[in-house]
Amino acid sequence: MSLSTGVAPEKPFAEKIPANPLARRFLPLLVACLLAIVVLLILYIGLGTVSLSPGEVIAALVNQPVETFHRQIVWDLRFPRGLVAILVGAMLGLAGAILQTITRNPLASPDLTGVSAGAVLASVLGIAFIPPLAAGGPALPFVALAGGVVVGATVYFLSRQGRSDPLRLALNGILLGAILNSGSSIVLIFDQERAANIVLWLIGSLNGRVWSHFNTLWPWALVGIPLALGCAGLANTLNLGDDVATGLGQNVERARAGLFFIAVLLASSAVAIVGAIGFIGLIGPHISRRLVGDDARRLLPMSAVVTALLLLLSDFIVQAITKGSLPVGAITALLGAPFFLYLIFRRVKA
Amino acid sequence: MGSDNKTSLREISTTITGKTRGAAMAAENVRVGYGEKIILSELSLEIRRGEITALVGPNGSGKSTLLKGMARLLKLHSGTVFLEGEELTKMANSEIARRLAVLPQAPTAPAGLTVGELVEQGRYPHAGPMRMLRKQDHEAIGRALELTGTLEFANRPLENLSGGERQRAWIALTLAQATPVLFLDEPTTFLDIGHQLEVLELVGQLNREQGMTIVMVLHDLNQAAQYAHRMVVLRKGSIVADGAPAEVMTGEVLEKVFNIKAHIVTDPASGRPVFLPYAVVKNEEVGRGQ
Ligand SMILES: Nc1ncnc2c1ncn2[C@@H]1O[C@H](COP(=O)(O)OP(=O)(O)OP(=O)(O)O)[C@@H](O)[C@H]1O
Ligand SMILES: [Mg+2]
Repeated sequence: MSLSTGVAPEKPFAEKIPANPLARRFLPLLVACLLAIVVLLILYIGLGTVSLSPGEVIAALVNQPVETFHRQIVWDLRFPRGLVAILVGAMLGLAGAILQTITRNPLASPDLTGVSAGAVLASVLGIAFIPPLAAGGPALPFVALAGGVVVGATVYFLSRQGRSDPLRLALNGILLGAILNSGSSIVLIFDQERAANIVLWLIGSLNGRVWSHFNTLWPWALVGIPLALGCAGLANTLNLGDDVATGLGQNVERARAGLFFIAVLLASSAVAIVGAIGFIGLIGPHISRRLVGDDARRLLPMSAVVTALLLLLSDFIVQAITKGSLPVGAITALLGAPFFLYLIFRRVKA
Repeated sequence: MGSDNKTSLREISTTITGKTRGAAMAAENVRVGYGEKIILSELSLEIRRGEITALVGPNGSGKSTLLKGMARLLKLHSGTVFLEGEELTKMANSEIARRLAVLPQAPTAPAGLTVGELVEQGRYPHAGPMRMLRKQDHEAIGRALELTGTLEFANRPLENLSGGERQRAWIALTLAQATPVLFLDEPTTFLDIGHQLEVLELVGQLNREQGMTIVMVLHDLNQAAQYAHRMVVLRKGSIVADGAPAEVMTGEVLEKVFNIKAHIVTDPASGRPVFLPYAVVKNEEVGRGQ
């Protein structure tokens, strides 16, 4: 070594850093969750008025149905619905994890920042007043995104005073969301005909979601999910607070605005397909945090798979217990609201 | 020995670049505050290369504001800050981060983040494309952890650390950044006296061995006098005294700025001044901010 002293060269510092156990268990956990999704999906497809055994489901999936009508049940109805659940879950989970990270607020999620409410209001207005949108279709996510972005940006700029303050951001989001949701309800008065359908939007439902919905959704996921995962490092730095992040050379405003937009894009397009499924984007990231810690490079992918699993599980419960008569948003709210209260309690205590 | 080092470094720096006249950083007629509220107006300060500068002053006198203004964490209303003679506003943010590290007062991080993950962030100004960490980055992280004595809890989440351990983790973050200039805002808060001295010794060591230029806000005047080459005293947003500890630590300054009466003695070991307070000055204008 270049050291002129006679001392033996010291062990490199890098080798002294102990391995991070959270990082070590990340991959196994991720794979386990993915496997769980696959298994649950097979059980899920088997549920319904005609119930199928896992063997029959797999046979139908690989195009060797035991009975010819199995193919139709599996491929035309249950499989696409399951896929929509998985994609929507992943997108809402990612959006929630990003929002929690950039607002540095554990209570942030698409529903609690007003983004979902904005996307729903825009969608509902579109469905009620723009005839070509009445049946949904590929244009609806754009309308929802416009709503989500407008509300998201409003919340963002309302909360900005010199520099955006995390707590104001969340508070404004919750307030504006409540106002917008009542706006959506008012639309019901003008559109009695579709009122029942629109109510489902406010709660969020997977009923009747088929390939056309999936095909509208996946391009958004294809753009949004890799973009979000690629920005995990930025999210990490941002999470240290504005001063430290600036000191580390980050352009704080730009990074936050960019991440905010990605989260809004993910949440709005998901909401455009299934409505404002609540709490799932809050719970998924929290469970993931417990599993793999706060580092966004692990938290974001983990939140995506955990939330996908959660939403599929919620819809599984809906199918198994209520035979699909209840919208899945009712179940997530039922399970999520106590969790939300628990989080607030813990926060108040701390 | 500190002053020997100081002069030699200053000589070196003047020969390297005449342009900056040995100033690692300089604030010129800086006007800065929060929103409409101006805290510092028309303040100028040069930070000489290779020196430890201590910023002292009562609570609310504008020490943190000055540090943040110079480190581009607060936008200047007017005036200019130079880093090695270059205008800060004309430099890329990441370029500044490779040359100036700053630890704000009372920073916060997500509770579950581990010390190792926190310190790793210090390398991103240096990292390669796609924020990939390379061998030298891991080396710098390990070194920062070792220097601050935080290696043993590298995998502990920040929320499970004591205030002092957490403070050392934050210092490690700035060390991982491996910059020639380092700003520390009250690096010794939350630390017990042993760890306070450890941090100050570390600061001295970085300065001696690597010629690091360090500006730190300290509340303990004796520690400032002991470890800094230069003390800058702030009061109500302006510099009221500036110079070597022996010049600055006078009864007059202590009375005017901190409202105390004190005996000043010279520490026979270091030759640095030490003050022993014996009274609070009453019925006089208090040397605080607003
Ligand atoms: N974010 C802020 N918004 C508005 N005013 C602020 C803000 N931060 C500080 N101030 C005000 O600026 C003045 C200078 O504050 P500064 O933080 O620079 O003081 P300081 O010398 O660092 O004090 P301390 O020793 O308590 O850290 C104070 O009057 C303070 O109230
Ligand atoms: Mg301060």
